Amino acid sequence: MAEIAQTPTAVQTVHSRFGKARAGDWALIIIAGIGAAIFSVPLIFMFSTSLRPLHAAYQLPPAWFPTEFEYQNYVTVLTHRIPFYMFGLNSAKITFWVTVGRLVTGSMAAFAFARLRFPGRNILFGLLLASLMVPIQVTIIPIFLLLSKIKLVDNHLSLILPSLTSAFGVFLLRQFFMTMPQELFDAAKIDGAGPWRMYWNIALPQAGPGLAALTIITFNQTWNDYFTPLIYLNTIERMTLPLGIAALRGRLDSGNPSVVMAAVALAILPVLILFLFAQRYFIEGVTMTGIKG
Amino acid sequence: MPRDLPTWPAPLAPVAQGAGVVGRESVIATQVTTGKLSEFGRWLRKNKQREMLAAYGFILPTFIGYTAFIIGPIIAAIWLSFTEYDIFNPAEPVGLRNYGDLLRDTRFRTVYRNTLYFTVVATSLNLGVGIILAMLVNRRMPFFIAYIYRLAYFFPVLVALVFSAVIWEVLYAKDTGIINYYLNFVGVSDIAWLGDKRTAMPAIIIMDVWKNTGFAMIIILAGLQGIPAVYYEAARVDGANGLQTFRHITLPMLTPSIFFLVIIFGIGALQVFDSIIVLTGGGPGDTTRSAVMYIYEHAFQLFRLGYASSVAMTLFVVISAVTLVQFRFGQRWVHY
Repeated sequence: MAEIAQTPTAVQTVHSRFGKARAGDWALIIIAGIGAAIFSVPLIFMFSTSLRPLHAAYQLPPAWFPTEFEYQNYVTVLTHRIPFYMFGLNSAKITFWVTVGRLVTGSMAAFAFARLRFPGRNILFGLLLASLMVPIQVTIIPIFLLLSKIKLVDNHLSLILPSLTSAFGVFLLRQFFMTMPQELFDAAKIDGAGPWRMYWNIALPQAGPGLAALTIITFNQTWNDYFTPLIYLNTIERMTLPLGIAALRGRLDSGNPSVVMAAVALAILPVLILFLFAQRYFIEGVTMTGIKG
Repeated sequence: MPRDLPTWPAPLAPVAQGAGVVGRESVIATQVTTGKLSEFGRWLRKNKQREMLAAYGFILPTFIGYTAFIIGPIIAAIWLSFTEYDIFNPAEPVGLRNYGDLLRDTRFRTVYRNTLYFTVVATSLNLGVGIILAMLVNRRMPFFIAYIYRLAYFFPVLVALVFSAVIWEVLYAKDTGIINYYLNFVGVSDIAWLGDKRTAMPAIIIMDVWKNTGFAMIIILAGLQGIPAVYYEAARVDGANGLQTFRHITLPMLTPSIFFLVIIFGIGALQVFDSIIVLTGGGPGDTTRSAVMYIYEHAFQLFRLGYASSVAMTLFVVISAVTLVQFRFGQRWVHY
């Protein structure tokens, strides 16, 4: 699927130049605007509800532009007896280690597959690629049994350990390493650099966009994961944000939707911020590998 | 891989053995065995060994993870699917009984029907809406407007399915939800979106389209921008109308993106779980229960791990088949 991304971008295209719209296009642009408005409704609703006082929480029609702002809902989320801030810390901790792990193991293996010669290289890479089509639901039962045998269930390690490596990460970064000019590596070789030096001093410094893409995709995936935490974690204090919010949404504050929406707003904030800063890498990574992550 | 070697002169000694494709590596290896090793050859051999060892070191962590958390578990899962196992008692081999039970299990048939229904409808809508949106947005417009549009359509992609479902649960509420409130204006009386057998699955699909179609839009936009402008100029010169241009230039040039999206959305939809468990919990009855929910419930609530594994195997086969279709037929269907 990599070919998709490699459609020549230098070719002159008629479309999508920014600037003044053609006169006949305004009708379509307005239709797209209506669509965009409809698509924005759920998130705007979430945000405006999160700022409503309790007496207006169920008000219909909802005040799209609220006249009163109840920041207290956010305070409630953070200070309530239900440990929302702990969910956040747990999610952050797991996401951090999984992302670091995948960057390290993925870049190392990707470098070897892209730039080093060794017997079995193609077979091993093929095996790795094949694992991309194994759905998590197939492996999760044996992994659960394994982790419960070594007493790691209901422990964050159960979510971190199995995710430290990923075939996807290797695949993505290999694409980036492959595009680097061979001359750089030849020159380093002649100067006596070993594989480790080439990896650390030549390949990695140039792989910035690839590492950024893997970071944002892994971050998203891990932060938003619900299925695996649902299976491994039981104790409320150890839950992650998706698990905690889904499990406790009825109880966050005796069913006040404003508080639940405030919790969701806080939970999606890191992902949205990260995306605003790094959207280029996210989309580049997706189109380059042909995998959604 | 000659590509990886610095360029140096032709082989240093005649090739001793092995006709056909013999790379420089074996030339040197031959020299080693015959003892006529030059200074340069020795240096190279040492380097090659060093490179090989380093390579295995580099891939080691990945393959430890691969063995422990992919290959091992797959073998274990296949074995488990031929056993009866409830965690508390040792696994008991039962041969093909689990698979025989699958064939007679009417709920198994129901959850697969639901999953396939969801997969086909959600994938088509995600793709269809995504293409329409991309065509609408892909024109010259002020940067500010283009930026806002893309954000509005793409933000939902980033929101976890669980969070989307928590929001939509409130929107779908029968008496207090805003969807019914606004539908009342056009004369539609209150619908129990998530509680009614007829609307529960469509409700889940609508949310899925809201969440995922922006992804299709971005990929299609990237595809559209890769179409060379000369094609459109040629079509204009030939007097093609808008529809003909779309049919004979845009659509064929988009087939790689469309094919990619069908596979990605298809595989994702076959594993649908998060949104259903939050919105309907599989109900009413079994009308929205998916294959993955069925696996989850059998494994972790009923502790029938053998049976759950056999259901998981069926999903494995279906998803592998979809993936292999991608590898095998991708080139043939796709116009590059």
